[in-house]
Amino acid sequence: MTAFPALLGQRLRRDGVQLVLWTAGTALLASLTYVSVGQAYGTEQSRASILAVVMANPVIMLFRGLPSGAGEGAFMLFLIFPFLALLAALMSSFLAVRHTRGDEEAGRAELVAATRAGRRAPLLATLAHGVLANLVLASLTAVALAATGLAVRGSVVSGLAAGAVGLTFLGVGLVAAQLMRTSSGANSLAVWILMLSFLAAGIGNALGTPSTDLQRIESSWLTWLSPFGWGEQTRPFAEDDVGPIVLCTGFAVLLAAVAVALQSRRDLGASFVPERHGRSEAPATLSSPIGLVARLSRPSIIGWGVGGLVTGILATTLAAVIRDIGADNPALERIMQAIAGGVDMEQGTVVVFFTMLGILAACCAVQTVCRARQEEVHGTAELMLSTPVDRARWLASFMVMAFVGIVVVIGAALVGAAAGLASRNGDWSLLGDVAVTGAGQIAAASVFVVVTAVIFVVAPRLTIPLGWALVLISMVLGLFGPLFGFPDWAVRLSPTGVAPTVTSDGVDVQGLWWLLAAVVAGGALALGLMRRRDLAPAG
Amino acid sequence: MVSVIAVRGLAKHFGRVHALDGLDLDVGEGQIHGFLGPNGSGKSTTTRVLLGLARATSGTVEVFGVDPWREAAALHRRIAYVPGDVSAWPNLSGGETIDFVARLRGVHRHERAYRLERERLMEAFLFDPHKKGRAYSKGNRQKLALIAAFAVPAELYILDEPTSGLDPLMAMVFQHEIARVREGGATVLLSSHILSEVEQLCDVVSIVRAGKVVESGTLADLRHLTRTEVSFAASDASPLASVPDAHDLRVEHGRARFTVDSDRVSSVLPALTALHVEGLRIEPPSLEELFLRHYGDDVAVVDHGGAPRTRREAAAR
Repeated sequence: MTAFPALLGQRLRRDGVQLVLWTAGTALLASLTYVSVGQAYGTEQSRASILAVVMANPVIMLFRGLPSGAGEGAFMLFLIFPFLALLAALMSSFLAVRHTRGDEEAGRAELVAATRAGRRAPLLATLAHGVLANLVLASLTAVALAATGLAVRGSVVSGLAAGAVGLTFLGVGLVAAQLMRTSSGANSLAVWILMLSFLAAGIGNALGTPSTDLQRIESSWLTWLSPFGWGEQTRPFAEDDVGPIVLCTGFAVLLAAVAVALQSRRDLGASFVPERHGRSEAPATLSSPIGLVARLSRPSIIGWGVGGLVTGILATTLAAVIRDIGADNPALERIMQAIAGGVDMEQGTVVVFFTMLGILAACCAVQTVCRARQEEVHGTAELMLSTPVDRARWLASFMVMAFVGIVVVIGAALVGAAAGLASRNGDWSLLGDVAVTGAGQIAAASVFVVVTAVIFVVAPRLTIPLGWALVLISMVLGLFGPLFGFPDWAVRLSPTGVAPTVTSDGVDVQGLWWLLAAVVAGGALALGLMRRRDLAPAG
Repeated sequence: MVSVIAVRGLAKHFGRVHALDGLDLDVGEGQIHGFLGPNGSGKSTTTRVLLGLARATSGTVEVFGVDPWREAAALHRRIAYVPGDVSAWPNLSGGETIDFVARLRGVHRHERAYRLERERLMEAFLFDPHKKGRAYSKGNRQKLALIAAFAVPAELYILDEPTSGLDPLMAMVFQHEIARVREGGATVLLSSHILSEVEQLCDVVSIVRAGKVVESGTLADLRHLTRTEVSFAASDASPLASVPDAHDLRVEHGRARFTVDSDRVSSVLPALTALHVEGLRIEPPSLEELFLRHYGDDVAVVDHGGAPRTRREAAAR
């Protein structure tokens, strides 16, 4: 075990910055929620009325926690706990896979296993690393909550509950890494389990039994199948039950033991789920650069498309719910109107959701264009550009596919919105608002395609960090700018903020022509400059 | 001789780093041209410029008479390329990658000639097309790139260290393919640091050092620039006095040794006959020695411990 400290130290060094971002981000989310809860639901009475609405419309509970009363802390954790736990779970499962299967796939594990470290020490060091990360996350979250003036015991239980859920998914990640041959395979297995348990907790709560005063819910059995459900059962600031934390930790220990057992029964680099064989000949679609880009981007575009579909369904189903809430809760109505720009609550909800959708579509677009940079760094771009494929045409295929991705995301959202309206025999006039806002966001998201492409051509190394940073900035400006009272000109810097939208007077095209002009000019600039650019591999 | 590649004074600077610094290179039609140099000497940068993937900082570059930077895509119809560091798309199978590259090079999906050639090459290289790109070892990725290059006929093959990951059997298959395309009249630029392979395959060799070609010519030409070593059994140096043109005379381990200019070898033979020497060995300089002539000082810096500098010195000890 002499190698253990070195292995643990190497993991901490490698992840340092990343873990600071995950853990501090989780704590920051907790304290920001406190601020916004204080603004929107300042009184016990307003919180009690919201909880009553939630009981009447269980669909909200799919993406919220377990109602445990209208106290400030309990209500706040109802809103945010699932997301704190989600961050801890994602951090932990990625961490587990990165340092086990990731290293193994890259061949580094072989180098380490050939030393005194042996085969098991790296796994145990990863386990210790993950436990430390979750302890830090739990402490920072507890401190952030306690610093707002909430009860210390409840704050500690909240932090520990989030960390315990993280710990469970550390175990899930470690086992997934044993089972799958590649780190991407292990990550997707872990994320699938994570998403299913997240939904199971939400659905289990929605199917649960409300108390007679409509302030708390006894979850159905389904919630008890999910680590997220266990975390919620601590009911911080209401009951502060530590039993579920023990349950999470015990399950994590069990999973870790399974991972160790599996590790000692397999060869280095081998997996229990064999990798599927590919086909020996390329399908007809794989005959052009765009065919390849479509093939590479298909899984991620489908993923963003599912996100779009869900957003669309929520936009129209929640529109009615929020209209009802708004009638009882003027503070919430004020927030919605600030973002949507003074329309009625139902239209407002649609506009807010479709602004978020614009961000979703922009993410899909940026990811697709960033793939060009990944191809260049990985060396596969060199292989493709040594054939009769023009550099500009090569880049254009990523840009076209990014645009296709945007249309898929928005299209899926429109389908979802229509389904949402159909399910509640809603007011079909909303569909017109949905279509206008959606089409406007296509223009807004397309700006991100060309901006990322221009960055790729001019400063290849900045493609990925700067491309994503711009989406983030745009999100903050366009979505939260109006809420935080940013000046109008700042909000209008964001493409999503100037996309055509619906107002009480009808359609406002806003900056549509500017957006289209930016897309055309940026596209031409990127492709024109690409003709003059060297291939810039890593380094 | 029709020139396929003509490079004059090629320089390529990356910031302050001068990867290529006035490189000249001529490759004639039908030549198998060895492009020799250790890592970092500028071989890969040269091949990138020849393919139009990187732009020359200065100098002129012509491939088939046109500037590869301006006409890259059109030129690539006539070129097959094997990169030095082959990477494959991780989630495409080997067979899919080969088909994809072939189709980009203009092969139609159902073209019979291509399919037969592909099958033949996969069998010859013992290549499993079903595996996903990420599952291939370095050698298998190399095979993948070689099959993709040889499965579609080209006029010029640019191969950047194509055998660095292959086992000796596969290296033989590779040599067989080179012989095949040579018979078809194709031109090959073979960058390598495996000297025996270059010695076996190439008509003409260019040696690169620090971004410049320091020596270029047929192997026979190059051999004339260095001396041939002659040795025979002897207990003392006395017989050597009668040999004309002998240099570096010495006696070691019961053998007398000397070197002679490679074009003067025949002039020492009468003297050796007269001496009735036994165990005579005449060794022409290997490519390794030609190579070390230009890189010897670099090696000497490394091995100050007096380790042998050449194969022949090693044998002498």
